[in-house]
Parts: sequence; structure tokens; C-alpha cells
Amino acid sequence: MMHQTIKRDGVETIGDPYLCLEGMNKKYGLVEVISNLNLAVRKGELIALLGPSGCGKTTTLRMIAGLIAPTAGRITVGGRDVTQIAPHGRDMGLVFQSYALFPHMTVAKNVAFGLEMRGLSRADIANKVAKALGMVQLEHLAERKPRELSGGQQQRVALARALVIEPSILLLDEPLSNLDAKLRDEMRTQIRDIQQQLGITTVFVTHDQVEALSMCDRIVVMKGGLIEQVGTPHEIYERPATPFVASFVGRTNRVKGKRTADGCIRIGSSMIRSARPAVQDDVMVMVRPHRIHIDWNAASTEQQGETANRMAAVLSRITFVGDVIQYHFDVGGSEFIVEESTKKSQVSRDQGDKAVLSWSVEDTLVFGADQ
Amino acid sequence: MTTATFDMPVGAQKSFGTAGVAVALLLPIALVNAIGFILPVLNLARMSFNEALPGGGIAEALTAANWTGLLHDSFYIELITNSIVVSLGITLATLLVSYPIALYLHRASGAWRTFLTVLVISPLLTSAVVRTYGWIALLAEQGPVANVIASMGFQPPRMMFNTTGVVIGLTEILMPYMILSLMAGFGRLDPKVEEAARTLGATPFRTFWRVILPLTLPGIALGCLLCFVLAISSFITPKLMGGGRVFLLATEIYDQAIVTLNWPLAATLSMLVLIIFGAALAVYSRILRMIEG
Ligand SMILES: Nc1ncnc2c1ncn2[C@@H]1O[C@H](COP(=O)(O)OP(=O)(O)O)[C@@H](O)[C@H]1O
Ligand SMILES: [Mg+2]
Repeated sequence: MMHQTIKRDGVETIGDPYLCLEGMNKKYGLVEVISNLNLAVRKGELIALLGPSGCGKTTTLRMIAGLIAPTAGRITVGGRDVTQIAPHGRDMGLVFQSYALFPHMTVAKNVAFGLEMRGLSRADIANKVAKALGMVQLEHLAERKPRELSGGQQQRVALARALVIEPSILLLDEPLSNLDAKLRDEMRTQIRDIQQQLGITTVFVTHDQVEALSMCDRIVVMKGGLIEQVGTPHEIYERPATPFVASFVGRTNRVKGKRTADGCIRIGSSMIRSARPAVQDDVMVMVRPHRIHIDWNAASTEQQGETANRMAAVLSRITFVGDVIQYHFDVGGSEFIVEESTKKSQVSRDQGDKAVLSWSVEDTLVFGADQ
Repeated sequence: MTTATFDMPVGAQKSFGTAGVAVALLLPIALVNAIGFILPVLNLARMSFNEALPGGGIAEALTAANWTGLLHDSFYIELITNSIVVSLGITLATLLVSYPIALYLHRASGAWRTFLTVLVISPLLTSAVVRTYGWIALLAEQGPVANVIASMGFQPPRMMFNTTGVVIGLTEILMPYMILSLMAGFGRLDPKVEEAARTLGATPFRTFWRVILPLTLPGIALGCLLCFVLAISSFITPKLMGGGRVFLLATEIYDQAIVTLNWPLAATLSMLVLIIFGAALAVYSRILRMIEG
């Protein structure tokens, strides 16, 4: 969609294109799992492949690692074509979703494996293994077998094993998906810190938008083997290119509308405006729940100035989620969810309460209804 | 719906604890084993201390003569070592030809895997006698195998009625057992682990030595134990393909019991086979502990 031209949102460019995928295609039998994928990963950046399960993230990652051959396309690393090179010649560190540690080797042996394959001296190996284990804080478990470790520890061994060979590219396949929530937060920071410290070009596969948004320099949103959008977390969140991106990254309200002659959008009996003009007559309007302001005492929905959209709404349900409270409104037959941070002295509201919802024109995303 | 009718009533569960159920379920097979296996073995053990009289007679006695006689007779020493060596050779040959097949089967999936597995098991559906005769036809002096070798300009070796024939026949007959044992023991071999080795810079060859082989050792140990035990106690194939010229423990036991009617000696040899089984089992568990340790 918009993978060639990437405007940066105030985030400085990290480096030149380093890992380039050109016209990548993968078919299993007649089923095309990856279709014409083009992507340039910059040197030293952490890029996320984000998408729902089955959209082809792992397939893409495994093609980069050389574990599966693409049906068509070219992979280059720093200008060198590696498409035909076997995995053991590619110099890439891969962390599997299931970690795939060698069950018959100790932690130290696992980490040493890649170095032994490179024919390093024993002293060098011992040195580097100790350093790598130190980096993931596992020195004290060097002589344990993988089965004697917790999930989080195994995950760190897998990371150390992939990093110790100082690969040109680090590939992570949902490395945090098997960890519990608290550990996941810790590991996110840890992985990001190590990545920045080493300045290693990293491709991070995840289906978790929070992970992608919080850790990565750029995000590639994928769906059904296609790239939907490439951009910084900020771009992806604020200027989603497709309705899919808008609803997959962050939550959003969606409501159908019609374009009017003067370029406004009619939803039920209300008229709203958007920053970007509608491209079709039938449109889908999306607004993020926490960008909507509730005015419980407003008398009318008269437009005040050019910067806000206002719509009358009736409260239908309230969900208390601890740090936020969700108000479900009925807006001309569609449901709108509005989120507010909770306060100790919350004014209680009742079903049927009337209010006026307002949000900025900037926050109004408009897509063609069939997009 | 239907399962509900099989549920035990609450009262029945209470009066009939799980331990009771276990005993009740195990009792029949325990009885069968006691009558059909343990008693005859004890009987054999007792028999091996009896005295053999000329003409097939047995004198009740308590003598170690059969045992000491065995260990002082060079024929029997050779018979025992020969049996062990040939069985080990057959085990090794079976392992070598079965391992690639088992590895391939382990990696196959879906209907293809089912089909291949059935193919591997299908020889078990024919009797070893039939398959042995098949091999006799193939390996006979003017048989197809000899003809092929001759047509390539070589002098065909004798492959029948000698140890070579026995090894070839038994190797093929034991392959299904070996393949199934190997596959049963390949549980720890995750294709992801092989891939991890590859991405870490290991060539396919080094991946095999450092990862695949160590992870398949439990399967190898299990298959070798089973095939060794089956090889050393096999009777039909050595009898038919050895043509009376190959002397192994099982054939000798048969000869002593049926031809010479020396039951005490046959019993002693049988007990010796049991002792070899025990030793094989001990070696197996030793190796297993070393692998897993
Ligand atoms: N070996 C295979 N044979 C056939 N289809 C496959 C194979 N591997 C993956 N697929 C299909 O390719 C698609 C993408 O898979 P994958 O890359 O694993 O998705 P993701 O990692 O994004 O969840 C899925 O629809 C999956 O069913
Ligand atoms: Mg995946």
C-alpha cells in the first residue's frame, strides 16, 4: 500500500536500508501466503511485523533466515544477495517462539554452540558465553539444562544464544508470547535495551500491538500476506492507512456515514467533518474512544468553531475497567464507546442519560466503506 | 448422553476404591503371566540342575554339572559368543538401514505418514516363515540376487545356508520393530531445534552429529535392545536360512530339547538366554541414564 514512501514523524532516521526484501512471494501449493512483499529494514532499527495470527509473519521471518525458500523474490543484506544462501551461511540470529533450545545441552553449551560452529578457540568461547549470559543475567544458571529453567529464563537463553554469534540481523518470532504479563513487560524493556546497546538490526514478529507500539522504531502491519502499512508507531496509530490498521492497532469506534455535496459526512442526522476528505460516497468513520469528550450538560449540538465534531448521544451501558471507565453510547443507531480515566469522586451516570460527544476533526478517520 | 449411562453411581465409587479397581483389572493378566510365564521359567530353572541320562531320561538331582559343563566345553563357549556377536551384528545392520527410514517417517505428516507407517508395519502381518522362504528364493545359488551380481561381472558370494544369509534375513525381519522403536524414541527431536542449529551456523552434517543423533539416542537404545533380544532368541530364520550349518543359541536349544532329548542341557541354555536378556536390559538402562543424565 504505502511501503515505498515513508515519511518520518519527527523520529530521526536510524540508518540506510540494510535488509531488503524485494518482490517476495511464497506459495504453498496453490495458496499464496505472501504476496509481493517489499520491505527495507534500516541498519540498527528494530522493526515489528505486526498482524493477526496466520497473516504470514512467521513465514516472512523464516524466509529471511533461509529456513524456507521463497517462491519468488530477492533478499539482500547490506547489498549482498543472500536469497540462495543456506541458513548456516546467513549469519542471522533467530529466536523461536518455542525457544527451541537444545534439550541435551546445558545453558552454557547452548550458548556456545554457534561459536563452536564458527571454530572459535575454547578461551574465546568461554569468554563470550560468560558475557552473553551476563547480558541476560543468567550467569548463575550456566550449568543447568533447559528443562530445569522457567519460561522466562529459557527465553533469555534463546536470546543469548542468538546474540552471542554477533549476527548481522536478529530475528525474533513472538519471543514474549509464552510469558506471563509481568515478565513480558520486563522482557520488552530488556530486549529493547540490549538491541539499542548493540545497535543490531532486528525484525520482531508479534501479534500484540502494544509490544509493537512500545518497543519498535517502525511497524509493518500485515494482513493476509500483504503489507497494509509501514510506519513509525506514531504514524500507524494516528494516521492508519486502512480501516484494518485503524482497528488492529489501538481500539476504535466505527460508524457508517455518507458523503454530502459540501464535503461533510452525514451520520444519521448529524454532520461531521474530517481532516482528510472522504474519497467515496459511502464511508466508514472511525474515532478512538479516548479522544472523545463527553459533555453531559450541553444544551445543543451546534457546531462551535471549525475544529470539533459534535453529536448527540444516549448512554446505554457503563463498563468499569479499573483505570478507565467505558461509556457505551447510542449515536443514531450505532454504538460509540468513550473512555475516560477514572477518578475517585466519579459522578455516577445512568442508562438513558443524554450527552453531547465531541472530538476534534483531526481525530476523525475516514475510509471508504468497502476498503 | 451415552456416556452418562456408563458413569459409575456415586455409591459404587465409594465402596469400590481406585486401588480396588486397579487390582481387579490387573488380576487376570497377573494370573496369566504367573501360570504361562513365571511357573515355566521356575520349572526350567529347576530343570537346569537335574541330571540328564542317556536316551532322554531325566534324573531328579541338584547338580551344577550342566552349568559347569557348558562353561568348559569350547563348542558352547563359541556358540554363546557367536550368538552374541551375530545378534549384535544383526542389530547394528538393522539400525543402519532403519534409522533413515524412521527419521523420514518422523518428519512426514498427514496421510503420507499414515501410508508409510502402514507400509512399514505390513511385513509384520506375514509370518516370519513365509518371509524367510522369500529370502531363501532370493538368495539361492542361482537366485535373482546372485544373477544380478553375476551379470555385473562379479563372482556371487554364498549368501544362503551360512551366517550371511541369517544376518540378511533377520535384518529385514527385524526392521519394522526397529523403525517403530526408533520413532517411539524420537519424541525429543523437534524440527525447530534442528533449524536453530542451522541458523547458528551448523552445516547439515554437523547438525546431525551435534543435535539429531544425540536427541535420537533414546530411540536408538530402545530399538537396539528390542532387536538384540529378538535376534538372539530367533529360531525360525536361523534354522531355515542357516541350513543346519549356523549354530546359534535358539537353534541349539531346539536341537537339545527335540533331537537329543537332553532337557536339562536345553533348560540350562534357555536360562543362559534369560541371563543375556537381563544383561542387555541392564546395559540399556545404564545407557538411558547416561543419555538423560
Ligand atoms: N508448511 C505450510 N504448508 C501450508 N500452509 C502453510 C504452511 N506454513 C504456513 N502455512 C500457512 O501460511 C499462512 C501464514 O502462516 P504464518 O506465517 O505461520 O502466520 P503467522 O506467523 O503470521 O501467524 C497461514 O495461513 C498458514 O496456514
Ligand atoms: Mg507465527
